[in-house]
Amino acid sequence: MNNDLITRDNISQVTDELAGQIASPENREVTLYAAPDAILPLCQELRDRRELGYNLLSDITAVDHYGSEPRFELVYRMYAIPDNRRLWIKSRIEIDQNVESVTPIWKNADWLEREVFDLMGVKFDNHPNLRRLLMPTPWIGHPLRKDHPIGGEEVQFTFNKDDIISQGDFYSEHLEGMDLRGYVENGDVIETEAGARRMALYAGDGKLVMNMGPQHPSTHGVLRVILAMEGETIIDADIDIGYVHTGIEKQAEQLIYQQTLTLTDRMDYVVPLMCNLAYVLPIEKMLGVEIPPKAKYVRVLLNELTRISSHLIWLGTHGLELGAMSMLLYGFTDREKILDIFELCSGQRMMTSYINIGGIRDDIPEGFRALVKDFIEYFPGRLKDYHALLTNNPIWLERTKGIGYLSLKDALDYGVTGPLLRAAGMEWDVRKAWPYAGYEEFDFDIPTGENSDVYDRYLVRMEEMSQSLRIVEQALAKITDGPYRIEDYKIVLPPRQRLDVSMESLIHHFLLSTHGFKVPVGDAYVSVEGPRGETGFYIASDGTEKPYRMHMRPASFSALQAFPLMSRGHLIADIVAVLGSIDMVMGEVDR
Amino acid sequence: MLERTGHPGIVLARLDDMVRWAEESSLWPLMMGLACCAIEMMATAASRFDISRFGMEVFRASPRQADLMIVAGRASIKMVPIIRRLYDQMSDPKWVVSMGACASTSGVFSNYAIINGIDKIIPVDIYVPGCPPNPELLLDGLIKLQQKIRQGVPPGQRP
Repeated sequence: MNNDLITRDNISQVTDELAGQIASPENREVTLYAAPDAILPLCQELRDRRELGYNLLSDITAVDHYGSEPRFELVYRMYAIPDNRRLWIKSRIEIDQNVESVTPIWKNADWLEREVFDLMGVKFDNHPNLRRLLMPTPWIGHPLRKDHPIGGEEVQFTFNKDDIISQGDFYSEHLEGMDLRGYVENGDVIETEAGARRMALYAGDGKLVMNMGPQHPSTHGVLRVILAMEGETIIDADIDIGYVHTGIEKQAEQLIYQQTLTLTDRMDYVVPLMCNLAYVLPIEKMLGVEIPPKAKYVRVLLNELTRISSHLIWLGTHGLELGAMSMLLYGFTDREKILDIFELCSGQRMMTSYINIGGIRDDIPEGFRALVKDFIEYFPGRLKDYHALLTNNPIWLERTKGIGYLSLKDALDYGVTGPLLRAAGMEWDVRKAWPYAGYEEFDFDIPTGENSDVYDRYLVRMEEMSQSLRIVEQALAKITDGPYRIEDYKIVLPPRQRLDVSMESLIHHFLLSTHGFKVPVGDAYVSVEGPRGETGFYIASDGTEKPYRMHMRPASFSALQAFPLMSRGHLIADIVAVLGSIDMVMGEVDR
Repeated sequence: MLERTGHPGIVLARLDDMVRWAEESSLWPLMMGLACCAIEMMATAASRFDISRFGMEVFRASPRQADLMIVAGRASIKMVPIIRRLYDQMSDPKWVVSMGACASTSGVFSNYAIINGIDKIIPVDIYVPGCPPNPELLLDGLIKLQQKIRQGVPPGQRP
């Protein structure tokens, strides 16, 4: 494809050209540059034209090129499923320029555009509900803009109770200042149509309105759900997120690439190693490094163990919420065995930062193989036990069968990936569709469901665990002796013993520790198949040691948007089952 | 007893001790997890570390029934008023454990979204370091809190 700018006039010409070229494998990934006003009609063509069929919107994000004109760059990414094609649309816009919303085409654009509005201040026309998403409503400013200060203040310790109480009053103003009618701009509330609908929903109108969360045992973190009910039946639901918004994407812009790695651990905190991998892959792609086979297989092995540990937490909490309390205890018992392996490797149970740019941080320790082998022998028996406990358990069947139905079309419209999409019958897995980190060398199956309900999602995840175990077994056999990271000491630290004998190593060590390494100008995105779906990092570099923009594509962010659809018509007790089957991690959703 | 010991106040003092003993050995934590530390808090409650050895396994979902708040994770400015409200809803006497670096000092984060220490809005009794703290470390913090209660230190104050 040529890199000409697409305007409203030449859309059909471009899509004709695209449809002709799309069959060839080198056009699996295409980037289009569009004028802002052409985005909506272009997207409409891309999805609706049969031979193009880009039916899943993966992400919308923005980059602030402060100081250059036009200032912002909008980045859209979409997939054609099941054809395994990916397309990017990039568009530069001015600071005061509005963009047409793509919510009529893809429903998950709702939150994605709200996030861009909230953090970058880009406004979308005809958006049904353009309010802040992650920050509190009365908050002023758009934090991810380059001219917005990072904030933060000095740490003070105090034991003075009276002072604390008065400061607490200050914070409680946040609650009173919350406005549901619309969004706040320069201190004024701009009412929106959706805001009026929300007010009608909250006012009752003969229905019972119930608040659930942010502190609720079954919301898996801090999620707030507002339910409108008739009797015990859910009519509508509204979701409020952002209660654990940490500003990681802004923080990353202040840190060098190796330091940012430690923040990725804390994004999806149930699967830190998977976030590490998703973060280092695009950087390695930009640097153009090829990591040694040993590091590659250790990464795969640890990632699959991470997937099992995440699914064990899901199984434990999901079971606990539906009345099978022993599942929590069993699940955590097995998870501890996986954490023992992580602790042996890195010295940390959870936030390991073990997967580094250029390989892994340290060589695999003594006893690693034995511990993994033990787990491979131990776990299938446990999995059999869990099946015996739940799969045919009449109470479990009653609570999960036919609950939370999501049709395949809706799943694609909402950008749902991972086990939820597979339970809807679509065999799509990033490990097979867009192999990364050497997954093409492994033999494993993708389980799918038929009914797309909570029970099928349960079966899919259970089967995923045994498939992951298969990969672990294969990866362990492939790990041979050899270097565990690249030997380019401009990117990885030189070995400790060389510092005493080599001046050059000392210089490398000093430069890496104080300055880091430079990454060529450009952007890259690599996604991995997380336990919740497509998780990926988009990294834009301006040629310095720090990421210019880092954006994570959270998998459960999209799935959570489909929650009102999945819960409508069910009883209030089923909410817990539906939320459990989404298996969201709020640290990942809010970042 | 007065005849035997010549000390009339001793019964009162022992009742105090008994109340403290009851308080320290049946702390009911609030079931509230904010972020990463919540996973380690769950691990503390689960089989290997088994928080019920210390009489704390009764995690309550309602703040009215809880007397220990373990602030497990980073507190964003959107969550802060709610943490404060939950604390206010807990009945006296109540204690707060700030679990992990984020809850104590905002940890590795220093930006617009996170407040730097939960002690700015609620009085904290025990700070547990770590990112996230190991379950052993959390248990150590909880045992220290028990000692503090046994010594009769009022909630939210330094011993």
